[in-house]
Amino acid sequence: MSLRYICWRKLFVFDFILLILFSCNTNQTDADNAILQNDNFQSYLIIGKDSNYDKETRYNALDKAYKSLNTFDNDSLKVRSLSKLALAFNAIGEEEHYEKLNRKSLKLSEEINDSLGMARAYDNLGVYYRKKKLDSAYQFYYKADGIYQKLEKSQKYQKDSLAFEHGRVLIDLAKISRTVKDYSESDDLTIRAIQKFEQSGNERYIPMCYTSLGIIAKYMGRFEESIDYHKRAIESAKNTDKEKQYAVTGFNNIGTVYKTIGQFDKAKDYYKKGLEYQDYLLEKPKTKARLLDNLAYVKFLENSEDKDVVDILLNSLKIREENNDVFGIGTNTLHLAEYYHKKGQDSLAKMYAIRAKNASENINNNEELLSSYKLLTEVSDSKEGLEYARSYIKLNDSIVNDERTFRDKFARIKFETDELEQEKAEISKENEFLVIAVLGLTALFLLVYIIFRQQQSNKELLFAQAQQESNEEIYRLLLNQQVKLEEGRQLEQQRMSEELHDGVLGRLFGVRLSLDGINQRANDGFTEARNKYIEELKSIEKEIRLISHDLGTDTLTPDVAYIDVVESLISDLCHAHKMEFEFSNDENIDWEEVEDQKKVNLLRILQESLQNIFKHANATEVKISFGYEDGKINLTILDNGVGFKSTKVKRGIGLKNITNRVRQMSGVVDFISNQGDGTKVDVSVPM
Amino acid sequence: MKKKLKVLMIDDHPMIIEGYKNTLLGENQNEYQIKIDIASNCDEAYDLILSSAKGNAYDMLFIDIKLPPSSDGTITSGEDLAKHAKELLPKAKIIILTMHREDHRIHNILKNINPSGFLIKSDLTSSELLQAFNNIVNGTPYYSATVNNHFRKMMNNNFSLDEKNLKILYHLSRGVKTKNLPNFVSLSLSAIEKRKNQIKEMFSIPKADDQKLLEEARKRGFV
Repeated sequence: MSLRYICWRKLFVFDFILLILFSCNTNQTDADNAILQNDNFQSYLIIGKDSNYDKETRYNALDKAYKSLNTFDNDSLKVRSLSKLALAFNAIGEEEHYEKLNRKSLKLSEEINDSLGMARAYDNLGVYYRKKKLDSAYQFYYKADGIYQKLEKSQKYQKDSLAFEHGRVLIDLAKISRTVKDYSESDDLTIRAIQKFEQSGNERYIPMCYTSLGIIAKYMGRFEESIDYHKRAIESAKNTDKEKQYAVTGFNNIGTVYKTIGQFDKAKDYYKKGLEYQDYLLEKPKTKARLLDNLAYVKFLENSEDKDVVDILLNSLKIREENNDVFGIGTNTLHLAEYYHKKGQDSLAKMYAIRAKNASENINNNEELLSSYKLLTEVSDSKEGLEYARSYIKLNDSIVNDERTFRDKFARIKFETDELEQEKAEISKENEFLVIAVLGLTALFLLVYIIFRQQQSNKELLFAQAQQESNEEIYRLLLNQQVKLEEGRQLEQQRMSEELHDGVLGRLFGVRLSLDGINQRANDGFTEARNKYIEELKSIEKEIRLISHDLGTDTLTPDVAYIDVVESLISDLCHAHKMEFEFSNDENIDWEEVEDQKKVNLLRILQESLQNIFKHANATEVKISFGYEDGKINLTILDNGVGFKSTKVKRGIGLKNITNRVRQMSGVVDFISNQGDGTKVDVSVPM
Repeated sequence: MKKKLKVLMIDDHPMIIEGYKNTLLGENQNEYQIKIDIASNCDEAYDLILSSAKGNAYDMLFIDIKLPPSSDGTITSGEDLAKHAKELLPKAKIIILTMHREDHRIHNILKNINPSGFLIKSDLTSSELLQAFNNIVNGTPYYSATVNNHFRKMMNNNFSLDEKNLKILYHLSRGVKTKNLPNFVSLSLSAIEKRKNQIKEMFSIPKADDQKLLEEARKRGFV
C-alpha cells in the first residue's frame, strides 16, 4: 500500500513540477485568466451564500458560479469548489443540486485519484440520503469511513487533520445503526467517533456522542452504564456554550433511565433538576414540555391517583401545541390517553389515543404508533378494537421486518464494499507483486549481465595479458634465435678465418718458399721474372691474411642482434604496407646492457606506432631512429602522414598501450602532431 | 769433410716443409751435409725428439707454432714442443717459424722459449731463410724484422707488459668489449678490469676510457 502512495506522491510531485513548468511557460494573460476565473467563481459563491439576498438571486449566483466551474481544469481545486457549491445549494434548499454536484465531485475525484475529495463527496451524499433512503446513506457513509481510514494510515495528510471530518461520518453511521436498532454496531461506531474527535482536538460533538452512547446503553439494558454516559455527556459539555442544553437533556435522559428501571423517585429528582434551569427552559419551551410530560408520566406510573399528573400533562401538551411540537404532541397525547384509560374514562382515552396515532403517523414514529394502536385496542369497542389489534400486529411485524431488512441490507453493503475494497487491494497487491517481480527480475538480469560483463572483461584482460606474455616470449625466442644465428655465423667466420690463415696461407707460403728456393738455384736468366711472381704471391698471402684477420675480428656480439630484429621488423612491416623507411641506430647504445623487458617494450612501442601509422596516418614514409643522450635511449618515429589534432583524438588503446609501456620503463613519451603535418612519437627511456 | 747437420722440421703442411727443403738443400749442399727428419704433428715430433735425445741428437729444430695437438693432450702447440725440446736437447738450436705476428704472441714466445731463430712466415723469403740458417748454424740468433720491431718497441718503454696485458690490449683493439674479454683471455672480468687500470697507470693516463687506452697503446707500439 505504502508503495502505491509513494508512487502517487511522486506523481503528484511530478504533476506539480509540470504545473510549475506549465505556468512558467504560459504567458501572463493565461495566468491572469485563471485567476480571473477563480475570482469570478468566488464572488458568485459569496453572493450565493449570503442570506441577505433573496433565494432567487442566490440561486442565480450559484448557477453562474457553477457555469464558471466549467472553465476550471480538472484538479483538486475543482473538486473542492464543487463541494462548496453543493453545500451552498443545500443551504438554499436545492437538495437535488446538492446531490447532483456531489455526484459530479465524486466522479471527478475518482478520475483524478483525489481520495479526500471522494471521501467528502461520499459524506455529503450520505447527508443527502440519510433522511430519504437509509440504506443509500449508510452505503455512502460506510465508503467515506473506509477512505478516511486509509488516508489516516497513509502519510499523505498531516496526522489528525482529517479526524474531525472522519468523526462526523462515524457519528452519522452510528445514528443510522441506532435507528435500525443495531445497537452494538452503533455503540462501536460512536466510540470510534469519540476517539476521532479527541484526536482532532475539536470536542464539539463529544457530549452528543456520550448522549448517544447513553441512549444505546439504555436500549441494550445496561442502565447503570447508560446513566454514567449521560453524566459524562453533561460533564463534557461543561464550560461550553451548550452546557445548559446538555445539562437539561442529560437530566431528562437520566430520569428516563430511572423511569425505565422503576426508580421513580430518582427519575422525578432528575426531571426536577432539569426543570431548575428556568432561564434556559424559557427559551426552549419544547424541552420544558418534555421534562414536564416525563415528570408527570413518572408520577402517574408511581401513583395513578396523583392529582398533579393530569394538570402537568395538559400543561405540557398546551406548550407543545403552541410550539407545534408534533413529536412531543404524539407522546403527550399517548400519556394522556394512558392516564384516562387508567382512570376508566375510555372515551377521553380514545380521543387522545387517536390524536397520538395521527401524530405518530405524521412523523413516522412507529414506536408511538404501536403504543397508540395497543391502547386503542383496549379502549375501543370490540369491532374497532379488533381492527386496531390487526393494525398493531401488522405494524409490529413490518417494523421488525424493516429493521431486519435494513440490518441485512447494511450487512450486505458492508460486505460488498469490503469485498470491493479487498478486490481492489488484491489487484493492487497483485500489481505490486508484479511490479516487484518485474523490478526484481530486471535487477537480477542486470546483476547477471554486470557479472557476465565483468567476467568477460576479466577474461579479456587475462587474455590480453597472456597474449602479451606470449608475445614477449616469442620475441625472446626470436632474439635468442637471432643470437644463435649470429653465433653460428661468427663461428663459421672464425672457422673460415682459421682455415684461411692456417691452411691456405700455410700452403701458399710453402709453395712460395719452394719456388723461391728453386729460383735461387736456377740461373736460366728468368730469376728476376720469377722473383717478381714470388713477390706477387707474397702480396696475395698478405691479402689473404688480412681477409682472415677481418673475418676473425668480426666480433659482432648479441646486441647487434637486437637491432637486426628491429630492422627486420620495420622492414617487414613497411614492405607489407608499401612504405619507405629510414632506420638509424646510435652506436653508443650498448644494447647488451639494456634489459630484455625494455627491449621488448621498445620493440612493441615501435610496432604499435607503425600500426597506427599504417591505419590512420596515410603516410608514405617513416623515419625511425634510436638515439643516445645522457644515459637515455630516445626512440623517434616520424611519419609524413595526415597527423591528428592532439586534443581531439581520444586516447585509443594503441596510444594507451604506448603510454603504459613507457611508464613501465619510467620514461616519457610525447605525441607531437599537427593536422596535415605528420606525426612524431618521441619516447625517451633511461638506460 | 762436410759438416753433418741433423735437422727436424715440424709443420703440419707438407708444402711448407717442401719449401724449407728446397731452400736449404739447393744452396748449402756443398758446405753442410744436411739430414732432414719430418714431423707433421706433436706426437710424431715428440717421439722423434725423444728418440734423438738418446743418441744422435738433432742440431736444429724447425718448429711451427700451430700444430695438431698430441693425442694425450699434453702438448698442444709448437710452443709446448719447443719447451720439451729445450729440456731434452739442450744443445739443439730452435727456430720458430710461425704465421702469427701479434705482439703478445711474439712476446710470449720470446719469453718462454727464447729461440735461436724467430721467423714470421709471411715476411719470410728463401734468401732470408738461408741467411737465418747460416747465422744460427754459426751461433748468431736470427729474428725476422717483425720480431725485431717488437723488441724495439719493448725497449722504448721503460716497462714491459706481460703476455696477458698484451692480450687484453690486443683483443680490445679488435673491438672486443671488456665484458666479453674473459672469453678470450683466461682471466675473470674483475681481474681484467684490474689489469686495465694497471696498464692505464703505466701509460700515465688513469681514468681514461677504452678508446684513449687503445690510442696510447698504439702510440707506444703495444698494439
